[in-house]
Amino acid sequence: MFKAMLIKEFILVMRDKHALAALFIMPSIFILIMSMALKDTFGSDRALLQYVLIDQDQTSMSREIARAFEESKILREYEETVADHEQLQRALNNELHFALTIPKGFTAQLAAENPSSLLHLDVASDIRQEALSLFQGELTSILMRLRMETMLKELKPLLGDRGDAPGKDFFSTDTRVQIHFNGMETGQIPTSTQQSVPSWIVFGMFFIIIPMSTVFINERKQNTLMRMHAMNISIPTLFAGKIIPYMIINQIQVCLMVAVGIFIVPLLGAEALTPGNSITGLFLVSMGLSIAAVGTSVLIAVSASTIEQATTIGGLVNILLGAIGGIMVPKFFMPPIMQSLANFSPMSWGLEGFLDIFLRGLGPKDVLLESLALTGFGTALLLLAWLVFDHKIKRGV
Amino acid sequence: MISIKNLLKSYDGHIALNHIDLHVDKGVIFGLLGPNGAGKSTLVSILNGLTAFQEGTIEIFGMDLQKNLKAIRRRSTFIPQSLALYENLSVIENLRFFAGLQNINGPALRDSIEYAISVNQLHPFIEQKAATLSGGQKRRLNIAIGLLNKPEILYFDEPTIGIDPESRGEILSTIRSFKEDNKTVIYTSHYMDEIEKICDEAAILDHGNMVDQGRLETMLQGTKNQSAVIELVFSSRLQLAQLVQTVTDVKVIDDNTLLLEQQDSTKMAKLLTALEEEKLPIKQIRYQSVSLESLFISLTNRKELNV
Repeated sequence: MFKAMLIKEFILVMRDKHALAALFIMPSIFILIMSMALKDTFGSDRALLQYVLIDQDQTSMSREIARAFEESKILREYEETVADHEQLQRALNNELHFALTIPKGFTAQLAAENPSSLLHLDVASDIRQEALSLFQGELTSILMRLRMETMLKELKPLLGDRGDAPGKDFFSTDTRVQIHFNGMETGQIPTSTQQSVPSWIVFGMFFIIIPMSTVFINERKQNTLMRMHAMNISIPTLFAGKIIPYMIINQIQVCLMVAVGIFIVPLLGAEALTPGNSITGLFLVSMGLSIAAVGTSVLIAVSASTIEQATTIGGLVNILLGAIGGIMVPKFFMPPIMQSLANFSPMSWGLEGFLDIFLRGLGPKDVLLESLALTGFGTALLLLAWLVFDHKIKRGV
Repeated sequence: MISIKNLLKSYDGHIALNHIDLHVDKGVIFGLLGPNGAGKSTLVSILNGLTAFQEGTIEIFGMDLQKNLKAIRRRSTFIPQSLALYENLSVIENLRFFAGLQNINGPALRDSIEYAISVNQLHPFIEQKAATLSGGQKRRLNIAIGLLNKPEILYFDEPTIGIDPESRGEILSTIRSFKEDNKTVIYTSHYMDEIEKICDEAAILDHGNMVDQGRLETMLQGTKNQSAVIELVFSSRLQLAQLVQTVTDVKVIDDNTLLLEQQDSTKMAKLLTALEEEKLPIKQIRYQSVSLESLFISLTNRKELNV
């Protein structure tokens, strides 16, 4: 009896294409993407973090720091020119992660206990704590080595082979580096709430694929859509009747998630979300994301034959776009090829838009490109869905 | 009212409707009969402008269907086989939604909803969610939605599938009542008794071909003979099986029932004698006209309709 039950269950699962896709194909693809995204993250041969070094000191020691940076295996020099403060800010809003300024007189005080001239580090505001720690560790290691060499040079004639071991502060960059996060006040640091909430808002908005396609397929299977069509309802009207409510639902989602970040998260002991300075910018990005999410949902809904198919494909698309788009793994951790691929994910555009507003303190002008790209993507998918649906109606499918 | 000439519909190399001609007058309850895959639903779908066709012309209300689709749709309605409604909306919410889609507002909305509800006897359930209605009540709501625009032509695509006999009877009498309002009904079914019960005229479709059409009485009169059903008080299938070998045109229906096809007095006398010899008492004998089913079988050489 039990054997018969086991056999039956295996046969049913093996014949269920969607279950097989969800059980085997989706995790396999997910593993492939995540492995690619995280490839070499912990290896020693890949430059993860892009920097520029502004040497105002122009000494042999400052050049030595520059050379040590060049030799670092985790740092990569930013290729574009950063000539002034405005260019620096723009670069930090794009692909540059760190800008280290060596002020005049810094290396002269390298061995001093309380130097007056500090290194100035500008940090892209979407940089996560792990990456900042990585950079600080590398900087500490370089400075420590150079400081040791300087001191030893000075002390060698006096101490010979003797001398006290350096204290904790001796190696610390904390007393020598002044950190400034781009788009923020001096001393203000981005919180994990600030960095993670935008990701989850984007991810959450795309989850409308599931309810939207479920309702749509139910209507199609029950012939409710056909009935509406027989009542002279055109496809654009039909689509509009679906798109608008779900876009409103998306906006409610954004408001709810931002409210949770502002009011609920602090109750749990974490930093509250600060929503940035531009409601218009936030609205532009969230509307663009809504159109992209709704376009994806409608295309899946009209293409899938069953609810099971739609939910499997929808879930898969959502996770893949998230994995590729830097929702699950920050883009700077990815290899260059994956970073290029990330630029094709609408979730990445939406995330960049939200980070511009929440982290970088930017406004509508700065998120216009992302918003337009999202709107264009969503519109293209809606047009494609229209063609597919029209074809299916004409074939009576 | 509906005039179809030389209609051809094919897809993927398969001919769904093979040069069909059909004419339906105003106020007629017209049955489209045929097995699954005969082309009934395709024809109804074409008449509602939901499926394209390759050849032929269709005129409804004297207007070309393809050129005047919107105007024709405003005066007709399509009631699909499946329950094309929203289970999570109440009866009244469903009616309001579908009326809204057709821009029925103000006093016209109240009139339309009242008409749809009263024809389908849905008054006691108007605030109830569709999901909580019985199968028959849901079917009636499905019909009610189709009545909101007060159509002159109603297309029903197998509206009684999967419901209990009582609800089925109610729905059939509702459809029959449309004749009093001089409405035209196109009714597709593979239940021949339904077509016989409610339709004035019918067409039989088989594999996309129109095999017969006309007034129902005329179609049935075409075959002259009658059949007789003989119900016995008791018997056994074995006894009956032996008995049918001695009399021609006798079929065993069940353990206590025989069917004598194309009966005449000689065959009947022979059967009665055989029954007497076997000591099988007769409960009753019913004579019936040739049914649509037997007509269908004779026209298509099929044993059953649900092929």
